[in-house]
Amino acid sequence: MSEGAALPSGRSGRLRDLRRIVLFTLLRLGGLLLTVTIGVYLTILIANMGGQVDELRIVQIRSTIADAVRANPAFAAMPLDERQALVEGQVQQEIVRLRLDQPFIQRSFDYLWQAMRLDLGRAEQMHSDSGSREVSAIIVERLPATLLLFGTANFLVFFTSIFVALYLSRRYGSLLDRIVIALAPSSAAPGWFYGIFLILIFAFIYPWLPPGGMVQAPPPEDRLTYALSVLQHMVLPVGAMFLSSIFISIYSWRTFFLIHASEDYVEMARAKGLPSSQIELRYVLRPTLPPIVTSFALMLIGLWGGAIILEQVFNWPGLGSLAFRAIGFRDTPVIIASVVIFAYLLAITVFLLDVIYALLDPRVKLGGGGR
Amino acid sequence: MALAIVVVAVVAWRWSGDTPAPDVAAAPAAMAGVDIGDRRGALVDQVVFAQESDLGKVAELIESGTHQLFAQGVSNATVFRRIRDSLGIRYSNAFGSSAELTLNPAGPRFNDGRINPFHVPAMREALNWLVDRRYVAEELYGGLAVPRTLAINTVFPDYARLAEVARTLELRYQHDPERARAAIEREMTALGAARVNGTWVHEGAPVRISILIRTDDQRRRIGDYVGNLLEGLGFEVERLYRAADEASRIWIAGDPAAGRWHIYTGGWVSTLIQRDLSDNFAYYYTPLGRPEPLWQVYRPDPELQTLAERLQRADYTTWDERQAMMSRALELSMTDSVRIWLVDVVNAQPHAANVDLTSDLAGGFGGSALWAYTLRYTDRVGGNVVVALPTLIAEPWNPVAGSNWIFDRMIMRGLTDAVVLPDPYTGLFWPQRIAAAEVAVQDDLPVIQTLDWLTLVREREIVVPADTWIAWDGAASRWISVGERHPDGLTARTRVTVRYEDDFLEHRWHDGTQVSLADLVVPMILAFDRADPESRLYDPAFQLVFDVFMQHFKGMRIVSEAPLVVELYSDQVYPDAEAILAARAPAVAPWHTLALGMLAERQGELAFSSNKADRNEVDWMSYIAGPSLAILARHLSEARASGFVPYAEVAERYLREGEAAARYAALGDWYSERRHFWVDNGPFYLHSVHPVERSVVLRRFTDFPDRADKWLRFDRPRIPALELDGPMIVRSDEAPEFELCITFDDAPYPEADIERAAYLLFDGRGRLRLEGEAESVGDGCWRIVLAAEQIAALGTGANSLEVAVTSVRVSLPAFATHAFATVAAQAGQVTQPAQAAQAATTGPTP
Repeated sequence: MSEGAALPSGRSGRLRDLRRIVLFTLLRLGGLLLTVTIGVYLTILIANMGGQVDELRIVQIRSTIADAVRANPAFAAMPLDERQALVEGQVQQEIVRLRLDQPFIQRSFDYLWQAMRLDLGRAEQMHSDSGSREVSAIIVERLPATLLLFGTANFLVFFTSIFVALYLSRRYGSLLDRIVIALAPSSAAPGWFYGIFLILIFAFIYPWLPPGGMVQAPPPEDRLTYALSVLQHMVLPVGAMFLSSIFISIYSWRTFFLIHASEDYVEMARAKGLPSSQIELRYVLRPTLPPIVTSFALMLIGLWGGAIILEQVFNWPGLGSLAFRAIGFRDTPVIIASVVIFAYLLAITVFLLDVIYALLDPRVKLGGGGR
Repeated sequence: MALAIVVVAVVAWRWSGDTPAPDVAAAPAAMAGVDIGDRRGALVDQVVFAQESDLGKVAELIESGTHQLFAQGVSNATVFRRIRDSLGIRYSNAFGSSAELTLNPAGPRFNDGRINPFHVPAMREALNWLVDRRYVAEELYGGLAVPRTLAINTVFPDYARLAEVARTLELRYQHDPERARAAIEREMTALGAARVNGTWVHEGAPVRISILIRTDDQRRRIGDYVGNLLEGLGFEVERLYRAADEASRIWIAGDPAAGRWHIYTGGWVSTLIQRDLSDNFAYYYTPLGRPEPLWQVYRPDPELQTLAERLQRADYTTWDERQAMMSRALELSMTDSVRIWLVDVVNAQPHAANVDLTSDLAGGFGGSALWAYTLRYTDRVGGNVVVALPTLIAEPWNPVAGSNWIFDRMIMRGLTDAVVLPDPYTGLFWPQRIAAAEVAVQDDLPVIQTLDWLTLVREREIVVPADTWIAWDGAASRWISVGERHPDGLTARTRVTVRYEDDFLEHRWHDGTQVSLADLVVPMILAFDRADPESRLYDPAFQLVFDVFMQHFKGMRIVSEAPLVVELYSDQVYPDAEAILAARAPAVAPWHTLALGMLAERQGELAFSSNKADRNEVDWMSYIAGPSLAILARHLSEARASGFVPYAEVAERYLREGEAAARYAALGDWYSERRHFWVDNGPFYLHSVHPVERSVVLRRFTDFPDRADKWLRFDRPRIPALELDGPMIVRSDEAPEFELCITFDDAPYPEADIERAAYLLFDGRGRLRLEGEAESVGDGCWRIVLAAEQIAALGTGANSLEVAVTSVRVSLPAFATHAFATVAAQAGQVTQPAQAAQAATTGPTP
């Protein structure tokens, strides 16, 4: 994108604009699609270690079946050669089921083709919690838990930090400002790190809050109590994420606002004696909306995927712990599905941001008229 | 601020001291003084299973009262110490896993020309003296392990049965670093290696030993320990730290001749007590064990190979012959030593101090068949227990080929009522729904009977009656009899006759309907149907298993319907009559719930097995959650409308009047109320399932037929406590007497429960000089009297009398030792071994 040199007039001008917009859209979408394709295929290659995981999986299959057959008293008296034949038969069935008898390169393109069509297919090892093998069901089942937890935490962090940052940008150098600056490095520690301490303190030393899970066991039968229980279980993980992000977030937004607050037009507004709330809204916040919206949009798609370790620490049944299991199982379709959905979301968000920028910022125009 | 909060809180915690234990800590472990009244079924009202995979939270969760039980064993020493030191927590021990060193015997040279010292059996054998198993158990495992020297697990019955041989070999291979050093020097020199500046060098290059070290658990420390020992002996050591997956590619899948590793820190797990370990030799020491490349380079001594093969196929005619073969195989396996057994790992099974239940000696809580019958608060009847599982509903549940995950199976065991139940301490089986049983075996089979609730008879020939069912004709929907299939007659190696309890068919399923004979017949037909390629229920994955079953199945017939008596004929034999019966006795399953799954699979909408589900690209059937439920519910409506009875041509004969309608109506009500189709007959019923929230709720089944305290006699393993006393100094002309007192909980151990009290006499050089049996003198006390000639035969010096006691109540043997010195009858006289006494000694000298 670049700023247009001059606005054309009349019908031919509108057609040219339309042509530019269509061309830009196609090029942009094509580029994004190519990026997504490369990203997904790289994921397929990495998740399968270029096909070497096949060997590993066959070893695992063989060991699991051999151990199961040996442990089963029904096969105890079988001659060993017959037992080995039985094991081999079962191993071959698994190999065929998982298509490990086909070359990896062929499967990798099948995976890619399926993924790009958003045909998430069937998991190889995993099931949804309720028992479905469909990858979409597996993901959809965990999505609400992740959206709830990470949505809450990220919204809290985002809006709290924006408003506190605006407040601090007006009180540059105050005691509170200095405290926030001093605490900013505390965000070097991830959320799960704070989570461990919060569990120790608020679940075990002072048992006020549950140490993990999404709801008490067994889950309450009436909806209100259920919701309250979920809220209670969210306090510690949300608190952990909030603690680990809030100070660096305030610090960075406050710095951002400070830079914009020293622009000439803001100084002019101050000189004119406009009220500070009006200056913040009209002269600081509005021109900085595009990066804020970008940050907000990226935060939203960042919800996808959850956080593996944090969910493990809090025993939260979200997409992070799902990814953890999928990696453990080497369940390629589930891993690919997680990535391809994120990739598409990211690509769509980037594209939409291009459009939103043009709407929010009069200086930005679609079509690359400056070329 | 965040860090400040954390620091302040941690400091506050440090100052506040340990968390006080809950009041329940002082509660007694048993239910003494608690009146259960006429209570039936379970001793608690509700059990909630919740997922919690973080073992680090065990102590805190139990102490805080949110959880009462962790079904996952603890083998981490730090966590264990926390549990052990807590007043609010108790624990049981499970011994099902073990650690060893797997050696790579390829060679004599690897593919790249390097010499492999462990190709030489004597080099491998020397490692037995090099490692200090006690150190491994006590230091590396922090006491959560017991030393193990032999190819048989120290907690399983075969170890107790072979206690004398085992003890002899353990003493022969006890830690002796000097002996190890000497043997290794001798063998390395023979291989052409030399020590240069303290390092072994072969053909100009240092001898490097690669140790493949598992990083997942305590085996990391074992690998480092062994590496240090070998470095101390002059080897260059390469430590390859690998997680399970990476390691398996190298040691299992890789070619051992490639020389990528010499030693692997192996581990094995058993979740149930294995009463017959006779195939361990073939499995662990011969190429027959597994088809992987490592096993194919095993070259055992021909005698070991033969013994291993014979033991595996039970090629012996008497029990004594088997024991002799096992003894010899144990000895040969030690000289072969492709594995150096180190320890049997103890898994602590934590629970709240005021909660108790029966834990399986091998499988812990997760493997216990009696948990549902014995789970209780020690100070009250009823209540709610929350059990933490590392995972639950790992796979879909269905009654035919559903989830086989250990913790899912644990929950399922609480929902079902088996006809026999395994003894958690011996692995033998006890009757639950059987009034009487007889096991008949051909008279040349070495089968033993331990428990007296069944009868073992031997017959020269066991003829299968002509009207016995032997196969299912799917096309005609009828049984095929032995008379049709084998007009010339058929014989079997075993016959099991089971008479069920008189009121067996009056019991209730969880949905309130009454058990009928169709619940026994339909599951049997279904098994045949699933292996019939012409059937729509055919499952190729099941075919393999079914073929094995049919190799030894010789028929079944219902002898009587009131009382229910069933006969089963088979060629499959186990050493224990109880195990033969347990493998044969048919169980019941509610035919009306099976029917829904059968309809769904026939329509191609769902499949019982994972394999078939994937082949047909449908969902693996779940009776408890997910998209399967809507399909099953639809089939319930259809079946209810049509009165569908599976295999009606046969099954209808066994139905009560109006049974089909009553069953489907009850199932409809059940589903409306509970939203699942899991109907069973155990002490608990499945109240609710919360798959996303990761919890499952079980509630007490009030119509359960048995008293709630029926299985409480299995509260703890009756491991004998021994006290061996006798003279410290014995003159060579004396006949000393030693007293052995066997107790449990300070009370005399019943003599009837003592299987054997054997003694072993070792001289000062650790040689076995004498063995025999102690004789009972009553009140839990036993006597060992040695003759003067036997004492004289020892010569002068220090000796050790070892006692091994085995009980029919627990497979774990108990040992005691008494050291004494023999002195000459007269000062200055050196006693010479007497010829007569020499003849009484047994066992080879090392």
